[in-house]
Parts: sequence; C-alpha cells; structure tokens
Amino acid sequence: MRWSIIRLIWSREVRDQLRDRRTLFMIFVLPILLYPIIGIGTVQFSAALDQQARTVVVIGARFLPETPPLLNASRDGFDPRWFDSVAEAERLKVVLPKAEAEADWLDPELRERGIRARVADAVVVIPEDIRAQLERDAAPRLPIYYDSAGERGQITYLRLKEVQEHWKNEIMSGRLARDKKPSTYAEPIRIQPVDIATATEIGGGIWGKLFPFLIVMMSLTGAFYPAVDICAGEKERGTMETLLISPASRAEIVMGKFLTVVLASMTTAILNVVSLAVTGLQMASLVGGAASAGRRSAAAALAPPTLTSAFWMILLLIPLSVFFSAVCLALAVLARSMKEGQYYMTPLYMICLPLIMLTLMPGVELNLFYSLVPITGVSLLLKALITSDYQTAWRYFLPVLVPTVCYGAIALRWAIDQFESESVLFRESERFDPRLWFRHLLRDKDPRPTGGQALFCFALMITLAWFLMQAIATSAAANGGSASTWTMAIGQVGFILAPPLVLAFALTSDPLGTLRLRLPRAKYLAYAVGLALAANPLSHALGPIVESLFPVSKAIARSINEMISGTQSLAATLLLFAVIPAVCEEFAFRGFILSGLESGHKTRTAILMSAILFGFLHVLLSLFQQLFNATLLGLVIGLLAVRSRSIWPGITFHLINNALAIFLGRMAAAPASAGLAGRLFSDPAHATYDVKVVLLGAAAAAVLITRLAREPNDRADAVTDLPVSAPGSA
Amino acid sequence: MIVVEHLSKAFRDYQRGWVSAVTDVSFDCRPGEIFGLLGPNGAGKTTTLRILSTVLRPTGGRAVVAGFDVATHPEAVRSRIGYMSANTGIYDRMTAWELVDYFGRLHGLEGDRLLERMESTFDWLQMNDFRDVLGSKMSTGMKQKVSIARTMIHDPPVLIFDEPTSGLDVLVARVVLQKIAELRERGKTILFSTHAMHEVEKLCRRVAIIHKGRVQAIGSPSGLLEQYDQPDLEELFFHLVDRAEKEKYDYDSARPVDETALK
Repeated sequence: MRWSIIRLIWSREVRDQLRDRRTLFMIFVLPILLYPIIGIGTVQFSAALDQQARTVVVIGARFLPETPPLLNASRDGFDPRWFDSVAEAERLKVVLPKAEAEADWLDPELRERGIRARVADAVVVIPEDIRAQLERDAAPRLPIYYDSAGERGQITYLRLKEVQEHWKNEIMSGRLARDKKPSTYAEPIRIQPVDIATATEIGGGIWGKLFPFLIVMMSLTGAFYPAVDICAGEKERGTMETLLISPASRAEIVMGKFLTVVLASMTTAILNVVSLAVTGLQMASLVGGAASAGRRSAAAALAPPTLTSAFWMILLLIPLSVFFSAVCLALAVLARSMKEGQYYMTPLYMICLPLIMLTLMPGVELNLFYSLVPITGVSLLLKALITSDYQTAWRYFLPVLVPTVCYGAIALRWAIDQFESESVLFRESERFDPRLWFRHLLRDKDPRPTGGQALFCFALMITLAWFLMQAIATSAAANGGSASTWTMAIGQVGFILAPPLVLAFALTSDPLGTLRLRLPRAKYLAYAVGLALAANPLSHALGPIVESLFPVSKAIARSINEMISGTQSLAATLLLFAVIPAVCEEFAFRGFILSGLESGHKTRTAILMSAILFGFLHVLLSLFQQLFNATLLGLVIGLLAVRSRSIWPGITFHLINNALAIFLGRMAAAPASAGLAGRLFSDPAHATYDVKVVLLGAAAAAVLITRLAREPNDRADAVTDLPVSAPGSA
Repeated sequence: MIVVEHLSKAFRDYQRGWVSAVTDVSFDCRPGEIFGLLGPNGAGKTTTLRILSTVLRPTGGRAVVAGFDVATHPEAVRSRIGYMSANTGIYDRMTAWELVDYFGRLHGLEGDRLLERMESTFDWLQMNDFRDVLGSKMSTGMKQKVSIARTMIHDPPVLIFDEPTSGLDVLVARVVLQKIAELRERGKTILFSTHAMHEVEKLCRRVAIIHKGRVQAIGSPSGLLEQYDQPDLEELFFHLVDRAEKEKYDYDSARPVDETALK
C-alpha cells in the first residue's frame, strides 16, 4: 500500500464530498439547525402545555366548611394559599354546576362521558356530611375522578392532589392547635435526604443517557451517506471502473475511501454532540434564570460533561467510526445504485438500534460481557465517561477498545474483500425469477455448498432451535412438568443434525464428501485422541478463570449441575451429553458449514469463521461462558477436519472432550484419592489437575497442533472441485 | 502489443449456474495498429476487454498486454494501458482540469512533467475552453474529450476503447474516431470494440467478429469479405451470426477447467 496514492484518493474524495450539497447539509447544516429548533420547540411546547388552565368540576361545594376555605372568594378557583405561587393557582379553574345539573355529574355513566368529552379534566365530589365528619375528627372521603390515560388528566390530578395535601395540612394544624399538641405530634419522624451527587454528576445522568445514543447514531448516519455516495454512487455514474483500471490497488482505493468515510462519520458525530451541548446549556441557563427552588436542580441536571470526559469521548469515537465506516463501505459496494444502497440502511439501523438502546435501559452497567458486544460496549463506556465514573471507565477501557478495533479491522478486511470480488463490482442487474433459481439450485448442484449456503444452514439451525425449544417447553408444561433431558437431546437431533443433513443432500452433488463421511487414516484418529487428552487439563484449568471473569448466575449453575449429574446412569449421561452433541455438532459445523465456508474463503479464514459460529451457537443455545471454550475447540477440530478430510477425528475429539467433563464432574461428587487420580489431581474433590499435569498437557497439545498444522491436507481419493453438471445438460 | 491466447471467462450465475461469457478467444494486436472487435451486444466484447484491463480475471487461457501477463502482473499492465468505454463516466463534482490531473497523479506523474502532459493533452483535444467546468455542467462532447484525456494522460503504449462512440451524436462520434486515428499515427497499440460496421471499415486493419463469446472469424475486412464471399461487412456479419445460431455448442467444454482460479 502506497500512502501517497491513498492520500491522493482520500483528498479527492473529501473534496468531492465537500462539493456535494446533500453531504454538506447532513454533516454541517443539519446538526447546527436541528438542536436549536428542537430546543425552542420543546421549550415552547412544554410551556404551552404547562400554562393551559385545567377545568375541575366540584360537586357539592355548598357542603364545604367555611374554614379553612378550599375555594377562593369568587368560587371560580381554589384558594391561592394552597399553591406555591399565584400563577399556579390560576392554572386550575373550578366550575360549580347548578344544583339541578349536579345529579347528572353524580351519575357514573354521565360523569365518565363528561370527563372523556373534556367538559371537565377532573371531578371532585364533596360528601354531604363533610362538615359533621370533620367536626368529629373523622376522615371524610374526597373522590377525584380523572382519566389517567391522558396527560391532561394526569396533570390535573397531580395539581389537585397538591391542593388537597395543603388543605389537609391546614385542617390538621387546626386540630393540633385545638388540642394543644405540638406540630411534631402528627409527624413523629422527618426524613432528611442528603444527596452527595455533584451538579456534574447529576448532569451526567441525563447527558450520560443522551450522548452515547447520539454519538453512536450520528457516527453511523455520518458514515452511511458518504459511503453509499462514494461506492454505489460511483458505480452508478461509471467512474468506479476508471478508478479500478488506474494503477491504484484495490486496497489503496478502499483505504482512501474508507478514511473519507471515517472523517465524515467523526465530524457528524462531534458536530451533533457539540450542537446538542450548546443548545442544552442555553436551555439550562434559560431554565436556571427563572431560579425557583425546584428548577435549580434542573439547571444542574443539564450541566455539561467535563473537558476530560469530552477528550476521552472523542478518542473513543475513533474506533467506533472506524467500525461503522468499514461496515457501511462493505455494504455500500454491494449496492449497484444509490437507491439500492439506501435499502441497506434499514436493516443496518435495525441491528444497531437495539444494541444502543440497551444502554438506555435501567440497570444495564458495563461489564466484561457487554464490553465484548459491538456498539453496546462503546456506548456503555461513553456513558461511564460522561457520568465521570472513571473507575469503571478505566477498568473497561481496554476490554472495550481492543474488541472494537478488532471488529473494525474485520469489517475493513470484509470491505477490501468486497472490492476484490468481481461478482460484487460488476454485478449486472438481472431479473430474479424464484422458480428458475430454485430449479437451478436443485438441478445444477456443485459438489460443495457455497459460503452463503453454509451461513443459511447456521441461521436455519438457530431458527429451528428457537421454535423447537419453545414447542418442547410448551408441550412439557402442558403435561405438567419441565422438559426432560431426553426430549432436549432429541430436539438437538432435530435442529442441529437435521438441517446440515437435509441441505447437504438437497443442495450438493456430493453430500458424503460435503459432510466428510469418508473414513480417516488412523493417524488422524490418534491425533484426535492425543489432542483431546492433552488439552483437557489446560481447558479445565482455564474454566475457573473464565468463570471468575464472567460469573454464571447461581440458579443457572445449579440447574445445569442437576441436569448433568442428575439421576441418570453414567451410560445415559454419556449418550446425552457426549455422544449426541458430538455427532450433531460435528455434522453441522465441520461437515456442512466448514465445507461451505472453505469453498469461498482461504482455509484459515474458513476454520476461524466456523469456529466463531460454533462459539455463537453455544452462546445462543446455552451459556455465554462457553463462547471461548467452544471457539477454541472449534479451531482445533476445524484443523483436524480439514487435514484429515474426515469428520470422524473431530467426533472422536469432541466425544472425549465432553466425556472427560462428565467424568470429572462425577469424580468431584465422589472423590477417589488413590491410584491414578492421586497423581493427576492436586485436589480430586474439585477435580483440579496438578499444575505439572496442566503444563505437560499444554506442551503436548501445542506440539500436536503444530505438527497437525504442518501436515498437508489428506488428498487420498479426494474429490475434485469441478462443477459437475452443466446448465441444461442435466 | 497485445497477445490473447485461448482466453475464457465463466461467471457463476444464481439462476443458471456456470455461464461462459468468453470462450477460447485468441488474437493479437501490434503497435501502430487498430484491431477491431466487432459483435452485437452481449457477444463478450466488454468481458474480453475487462480481462485485458485486469478488472476481471480469466478462468482459462492467457493474455499478455504491453509485455505483462494480466493474471500475474495486473498492476504493471494497468500502468501501461488507457481504457475508455461508453460506461466509464467522469466525476460530476470535478472540473476537467482537476479530473485529468487526478488520474495523472494516480499514474505517478508529478510536477513539471505532469503539467507538460496536461497542457499538451488539453491542446491536442482543444479542451482549454472548458478547463474549469464541472463534470455535471459539461455537454456529452466535452465529457467524451475529458474521458479521452484521462485515458491518454500517462501516454500509455496500449489503448483499449470499448464502444467509445455508443450513444454519441454523429459530430461527437466523428471527433472521437478522428482522435483514435491520430493515436494510431503515434504508434499506439489500439484495441477497439464496436457494433458499428462502418467504424471498423474506416479504422481497423484487422478485425475479429465475436458472437456468443467465440471468435467467429478473424482477418482484414477485405480478406474476410473475400473468404466468405459476402458483398459488405454487414452481410458478412449477419452471415456469421446466422451460422453461429445454427451450430449447437457443446457448452461443457466452455466451462472453467479449474474452479480455484475463480477464488
């Protein structure tokens, strides 16, 4: 990659974007105009809402006691002394219906209709004997009828409640004075809240929710439009081909375009945040200027984040923009036209929004798990920085930064791959005929599935799993119990084994080869057994570390333990938790999925992708904590499957691995300290391997993996990768 | 110098499986010569030229452009060719001068040398009137001139024109053809594809007639007329197309030999 070329392409693209009115509007004009307009709108709107007078119909006002008076002298409102200010008193209008109309208001049906028709926002009914009741120190009931579904009703009710509260206190102090009791008599304990939060921290609470959301959304929006313009737009205008034929390499072109998108994304995000902050400050000083007691906290709540957190926010914005820019670029180059590019926006937002929304939910705090989730990790870290929660921020800065940079790098690699793919760059618009496509799919089969079919298989497995597990749980609940482990095992056959089997036979001309069903050479089985035994102590020792980093909730751990070391015999447990998963998962992941991924990617990438999918399956269907173990396992078995061209070594490895876990679990339940166990384990009661055994095993596993990696793929009676049937010849 | 030997290209199609766009195409083109590729739309002309300009990879056969194999040294090939087609557009938000300057720089030209090339190219194409006009404001004729300037700025020995006159009015088309003829005089190796017979008659010393991805006939226009006993190129063309339609091709042989070449 030549930086001079990248800089040349970058500067051209930036200049091009700056000359585009749409981009200029989205990046510069919109944020500068948007927030002040929203701000003014909000202020005016809420003021209008707040100042409107609400109507309260009071029935039986003639029964009210003279002192203290509930209503004012002209009896068209409540007595001003029950409000904080005179202005507030004017916002509740009292209507006293004539004596003959009172009967209508007392009829529940007519009253309801009146409230719904907004003749009254609330109706207060004064009981006839209120005076008598008050005199004998009873507590007369004052019903307030209102419609809580509407904001009008809610506001009126809250105001009425305040009035009643003040009025009630006045009556109470009258009683206390009469009985010569001190005012503390009715209030034996006073609560005194002491808030240690500073204004910045309170402000952080609001900004902390709003800023991450806005930064993430805007860096995505800011990346999307330029990406579509400089990829799909160039294709549409026919300039892409001229660029591809220039001496610039694809990677240089992608980098030049990519850096342009990053710049646009960051600028959009920063301008939006700055504009929002300025508007917010303005609003805060506006509200603060009114300076009534309750509002000072509102002013504090809008205090801006400190300069330090602003600095870190901008720093964090870089990997986020890198990630979004790469994703948008890869998507945009897929599109043939600007219009098609816009279509990709909705699904992208649909995926990103829930990940951002998570940060708005109460109780969601940054932990190691969230730090690994793309977008969510960054949003939560931004939140921590803005609320000046530096302790959390420092702790998770690297765990958030490193995965985000990794995701960005993967997305960028994807974008470059897209640019190097002929079928993507020169996609002709073809008419899509589902019947023709389906016929071709079933008739002109290739020996191996495509990468797309492999991913489809994975998606099908997850979808089936979702519905089947629901069905099993529902039917079990109908029979009055929870699903037995047996039905769960049969379910696995249904959603893990069935899809790859069906797809291999339906979509490929060589299903046996796709599923790698041929027998391996003996040495690969030996590799499998050796690796499984050698790696077990290490993976067992790593288990507690993963668990301490990502704790499993106690309830889940208990139910899993019950499931595994339940009442079944050892043979049944082995069948359920070792044999069935090993066979099902290997057919799916090292059979169909790996074969499909291999036909579109380098072997290395295919193994890595299948291992990550394998890890994800465990996250989705079982425990998040299994991600690491399953992915590592997937890497090793993937290598075994590719080298041996057979699925059996993988099944052997998988089987031994799961069986060992069961044996160790059982042994922990009934420890045997004598013999072999005594030498292998430092603590048989917890099935903890001796450190020497762990190190020895790890070294042996490393040697075996290196040797295996250096072996050539087993080519004995290998199928050629030729497409076997021609269009129209079958 | 362009040498094409048994070139094939197959695409994978979602609906029809493997489809061959170009099958066993061979020809060569020497400096100072304009070689014509004549064929109807969808004959495989553009695919062939895209392979020669290295944006598509061949699935069979080989092609050497300006002394470099397109499959193994694509970058070396790209720096020695100029490519222009009816589809290659110009940037709307760049002026003529900026655009040509940009491509000059992409080709590694700088400073005085770039300026000198720019001035001589703009003089040659009489483009000085609209140096600072944005692409979006240009007429078709201006755009076509800018495209030729872009193709020529690095003074490449090999030029590939893919239907450069398609969709142009006669005046603009005439200018384009004139300039291509001038380039031949400068000793360039020129590959020229078209579906217009008269352009071939006017410009090309030799021509290959392509239909359904295969070369149906190759030779000098007059020699071909003699060989097939046809009065003019148009009749010859229809004669060959008819003949190709009647023949039933064995498409299996057109399929890629080595699928790994596609990856």
